[in-house]
Amino acid sequence: MKVSCFERLLALGIIVSLFIPACGGGATSPEPTQAASPPTTLPEVKPTMASTGPVTVLEWSGYELQEFWQPFADAHPDTTVDFSFFAEDAEAFAKLQTGFQADLVHPCNSWWKLYAENGLVQPIDTSRLKNWSGIIEVLAEEGQIDGKQYFIPWDWGYESILVRTDKVKEVPDSWADLWDPQYAGHVSLWDSGESNFIMTALSLGISPWQATPEQQKQVEEKLIEIKPNLLTYWVDFTEIPQIVGSGEAWLVANAWPDAYTTLLAEGVPVEYIEPKEGRLGWVCGYGISSQAQHVDLAYEYLDALIAPQSMANLANGYSYGAANVEALPLINPDYIQALQLDQPDVMNRTVFFQALTEEQRQIFTSVWDAVKAAP
Amino acid sequence: MYTRSRVAVLMGPPVLWLALLFLLPMAIMAVFTFRAGTFPPERDVFTFEHYREFLGNTPFQWLLWRSALVALATSVLSLIFAYPIAYFLAFRAGAMQMTLLTILIVPAWTSYLLRILAWKLILGANGLLSSFLLSIGLIEEGSRFLLYSPSAVVVTLVYVWIPFVTLPIFSALQRIDRSLLEAATDLGCAGWEAFLRITLPLSLPGVAAGFFFVFIPTLGEWVTPSLVGGVNGVMYGNLIQDQFVRALNWPLGSLMSLVMLVLVVIQIVLFSRIIRLSDLAGI
Repeated sequence: MKVSCFERLLALGIIVSLFIPACGGGATSPEPTQAASPPTTLPEVKPTMASTGPVTVLEWSGYELQEFWQPFADAHPDTTVDFSFFAEDAEAFAKLQTGFQADLVHPCNSWWKLYAENGLVQPIDTSRLKNWSGIIEVLAEEGQIDGKQYFIPWDWGYESILVRTDKVKEVPDSWADLWDPQYAGHVSLWDSGESNFIMTALSLGISPWQATPEQQKQVEEKLIEIKPNLLTYWVDFTEIPQIVGSGEAWLVANAWPDAYTTLLAEGVPVEYIEPKEGRLGWVCGYGISSQAQHVDLAYEYLDALIAPQSMANLANGYSYGAANVEALPLINPDYIQALQLDQPDVMNRTVFFQALTEEQRQIFTSVWDAVKAAP
Repeated sequence: MYTRSRVAVLMGPPVLWLALLFLLPMAIMAVFTFRAGTFPPERDVFTFEHYREFLGNTPFQWLLWRSALVALATSVLSLIFAYPIAYFLAFRAGAMQMTLLTILIVPAWTSYLLRILAWKLILGANGLLSSFLLSIGLIEEGSRFLLYSPSAVVVTLVYVWIPFVTLPIFSALQRIDRSLLEAATDLGCAGWEAFLRITLPLSLPGVAAGFFFVFIPTLGEWVTPSLVGGVNGVMYGNLIQDQFVRALNWPLGSLMSLVMLVLVVIQIVLFSRIIRLSDLAGI
């Protein structure tokens, strides 16, 4: 059909006008007010008059239960707590970077330095936290950057191999056993670049955080090698009890302790091994956003979170470790025994996640993408 | 009467909607492909790096090709299953037509995720299909080849798409003038010959519409592959999702999406030479 002159001009006008906002798109989107380069003067703690919420918490799904922050609910019955959920550390980071308004955020320790360097969190004055004295020192040190406490550790745990003991001939004792062809089709890995890179590097005897480009290639090739052994990648932690309970998966790697205790409770014969290279360890904790609107309330919420009873509720609910030693008497003794939650030296046998640089983060994700895309 | 001002008023809102909520985001993504990074300061640096990265990355291209094959298989299978259903509805259903049509559509009203998870139950190693094959002695132990494979992705998606493919074909068949078929019989055509020479060619616009209904969304699928695809069923959409959510590499993700978009547009342009697009719109 013939396009008239008017319509041609209109179409051209629309197309041209689209590119103007598209190019300027960067300038108009809300940006954090501090400088993009690592701040030389750290963001100030803004005293707030507002003591009527809502307090906004950027949180993993599953941690919003009131039993984890009961003292705050008791002290402020009229204040609402809004939760915004994320499923990946990268999601929470992107949300804050693009200007999302939160008071508290709950990332895991490998990201803590990135948050501080990008000015997304403000230093925390630990003298304002009544329950601070019980926090395990080695975990608290993780949250210190440039001598200031940016993150309060809260939950910690392991990543290891969950084994279905009745299906395997002998229980594996090393990360390298995941590659054993006798388990073909019955191994499941977590769909996470960081964890898989680290455990593969450990199995090859390489340091994960100082890998040279040749060693990165080695890790990539080793991960491609495991693909015929795999049943599937698991994405959500609730998948693990399903695939292990049904007997389809015999070895699940980078499983967290909650899967172990869930399956034990269901009567499935499983073991949560300690590989000779060491289990991986993670610790996650709370930071106060540099854009927080309700800083005083945020401190009170934090205090409620690290109270002994709240921490015990976490440990009893998910069988993760609690960062506050005063919670130990309140935790189910079976969990303490099964996961050595009271042995301080277990931390030395565990390979804790280290702080990521932007470059490392990109290496870990691009290696994993290459593995997934490989034929 | 279609005066120019009337056309402008009527077309105005939809065009504005399309421009703001579709074309503008596409343009933003196109500009993003040239940015060095997702967040400031890298975001404001102009570079061709991602183009070089994508062109040099053969695994990603291979994955795009394999996803296109999966999408093609899904579309063709959906058409094969949907055509007889549509034919029956148009020519044989009679008074029951509306009822049967509703029965066909109702599964599409349930949650998409529920339907995929239902297939997980059927195809799993301890699932319905496996237990059935075990009980009739066809296999010896729980089969793990059905689930977590590209074929599981195809089977699940064909099931999901059949109602959507049936509708355009049914519509096209409905519009065929029955007197043409009568004339064919009068002139001595056998039933199947009349079908091949009259019904099938006249229903092709509906078939093409059905094909694209399935092919385009399936090419970018990532939910179904992540739930039932396993290791070998990973599709192009999974990697795009990874770039945006995990890798925080929005420029590369935008580039991958636009490559897919451009390829689909080229296909549609080629196809529209064969079948007039206005026929596709007449659903």
